Amino acid sequence: MATPVLEIIDLKKTYKRGWRAKPVHALKGVSFKIEPGVITGFLGANGAGKTTTIKCLLELSLKDSGRIFYFGHEGLTNEAKSKIGFLPERPYFYDYLTGREFLRFYGKISNRLKASDLDQRVSDLLKRVGLAHAGDRQLRSYSKGMLQRVGIAQALIHRPEFIILDEPQTGLDPDGRFEVREIIRETASEGTAVFFSSHLLPDAEQLCDDLVIYKQGEMIYNGATSKLLQQAESGFQLTFGTQQVAEAKTLQELNAKIDEIRKQGAEIREIKPKRLSLEEIFINMGFDAKPDNAQRAVDTRAGANR
Amino acid sequence: MNYMKSIATIGINTYREVIRDRILYGIVVFALLLIGLSIVLGGLSFAEQAKISADFGFAGIQIGASILSIFVGSTLVAKEIDKQTILTLLARPITRTQFVLGKFVGLLLTILTVMVGLAAVLAGLLLFLGLSITPNFAIALYGVVLEALVLVACTLMFGVISRPIMTVLFASSVFLIGHWVSSLEGLMKMKSIASDPTFLVGRQLAKFVPNLERFNWRSAPIYNLEVPGTDLITATVYAFGWMIIFLALTSFIFRRRDFV
Repeated sequence: MATPVLEIIDLKKTYKRGWRAKPVHALKGVSFKIEPGVITGFLGANGAGKTTTIKCLLELSLKDSGRIFYFGHEGLTNEAKSKIGFLPERPYFYDYLTGREFLRFYGKISNRLKASDLDQRVSDLLKRVGLAHAGDRQLRSYSKGMLQRVGIAQALIHRPEFIILDEPQTGLDPDGRFEVREIIRETASEGTAVFFSSHLLPDAEQLCDDLVIYKQGEMIYNGATSKLLQQAESGFQLTFGTQQVAEAKTLQELNAKIDEIRKQGAEIREIKPKRLSLEEIFINMGFDAKPDNAQRAVDTRAGANR
Repeated sequence: MNYMKSIATIGINTYREVIRDRILYGIVVFALLLIGLSIVLGGLSFAEQAKISADFGFAGIQIGASILSIFVGSTLVAKEIDKQTILTLLARPITRTQFVLGKFVGLLLTILTVMVGLAAVLAGLLLFLGLSITPNFAIALYGVVLEALVLVACTLMFGVISRPIMTVLFASSVFLIGHWVSSLEGLMKMKSIASDPTFLVGRQLAKFVPNLERFNWRSAPIYNLEVPGTDLITATVYAFGWMIIFLALTSFIFRRRDFV
C-alpha cells in the first residue's frame, strides 16, 4: 500500500476571540488520510472546520494537539512544503504583477524548478488554464474566474504531488466551474493527489474518489464516494411500455419484475438503481439542521462506519 | 543557499510592489520639493546659500527615507495578511523568518533606489551652487541608510503586532524620541533636573530607543568636518545591533501568529 500523502491523527484546534470570550472548539479531534493520486472532496457546512483544518495542516494556524504526517513523515518541513500546492478560499493575489510575473514568482519561491525550465512551465500553465492571452496583463485587470484559474496555476506551478484547494469553484459561473473541474481531473490523472473543499455537491459527486465529511468540528465520514452512494441505494427503478414505472427493492425482485413485464409483452426502456444523490445524503446527515433529519443522519453514519 | 534565494525572491517582489505603488511617487515628489525648497531658502542668505541649500537638501533625503520606512513599512505585512496573499506564500517552502527578512530587504532596496535618485539631484544642485562633492557627501548619505535600517526593522516589528495606523504612531514615536535622545543626554548633565523622578523615568525609557542622532553626519559635507573612522564603525555596529534586535523580535512574534 502506498504511503498516504497526508495523515491527520486526532487534530484539535480551539479559537478564543478576545480575552473574555468563550473558546470555540473548531476541531474536536479529527483523523483522516489522503492517498496519492486520489481526488478527495472535503465537505461540511459553513463553520464545520474545513478551512481551519487546511490552515492547521499548512501551519498557517497552529494546532492545539494532534499529529500530522506528510508523505509518511511527521511535521511540515520545507521539503514537504515543496511537494504541496495550495489555493486558499477567496484568493487575492499581488495585483500589481502580471499573470506571468505572478507565476514566475511562485515558481521561484517553490525551489523545485530549474530556472531554465521556469519560463516554459509558466507558458504551459497559462495555456492550460486558458490564460495564454492574458499572461502579460496585470492581475488587477483579471475577472474573478481568471483570478481563480491563475490561482490554480500557482498551486500547480512546481509540479506538486499533493494540492489543496479551498473552495476552488466558489463564485464561478457554470463555464468557470466546468473548467476548474476539468483542471482538477487532469491534475489527478497525472498522479497528483487533490484535496478540495466545496459546497458544490454535484461537482464533488462527479469528481471525487474519496470524501471527508465534517460536521461541527468532527469528522463523520472518510471513505470512498461510491461506498457512501451505494449505502444510500434503495433498490431499482424500471421504466417500461409507455412511460410506466415500477420499483424493486432487491435484485431478485428486479428479475421477477423484468420477467413479469416481458410476459406482458411490454418493452423495458430503462433500469436504474434508485439512489440518493450526494446532496440528498448530505442533507440527510442533518446539515440542514432540521430535527426530523437527526435520526436519518445517525442511520447514515452507522451505515458509513459498517 | 536556498535560504538566501528565497529571501531575495520575496525581497525583489516587495521591491516591485513598492516601486509600482503610487504612494512612493508622492513621497519622492515631497522629498524633491524639500530639496527644491532648499534653493529658495538658500537664496535668502547672502553668504551661505550653498551651505543652507545643502543642509535642507540632506534633510529632504533623510525625511523622504524616514517617511518611506515608516509609512510603507507599516503596511507591508498588514497588506499581506488583509489580502490573505500571505497564505499562499507561507504554504511554500519558506519560513516566517525568511518572509520577514524578505520584506525588510525589499523595502530597504526601494529606499536605497530612491536615495540614489535624490542624492543625484542634490549633488547636481550643490555642484551648480559651487559646492564641491567630497567623500563626506557619501558619509552623510551612509548615515541616512543606517537610520533607515533601524527604522524599517522597527516599523516591521510594530507592523506584526498592530494595525498600520498604530504602527505609524509607534514608529514615528521611536523616530522622534530617537532624535531627541541626544538632547536628553545633554539635559542629564544639568544638576537641577537630574534628580527629577519624571526625568529619571524618561532617562531609563530612553535606553530602549535607538539614538538616531548617532547617524547624523549631515553637517560634515557642509562644513568640511572630519568624521572619525571609529565613529563610522561604532555607528554601523550600533545600527546593525538595533536592526538585529528588532528583526529577531519581529520574527519571534510572527512565528507565533495564527492566520485565522
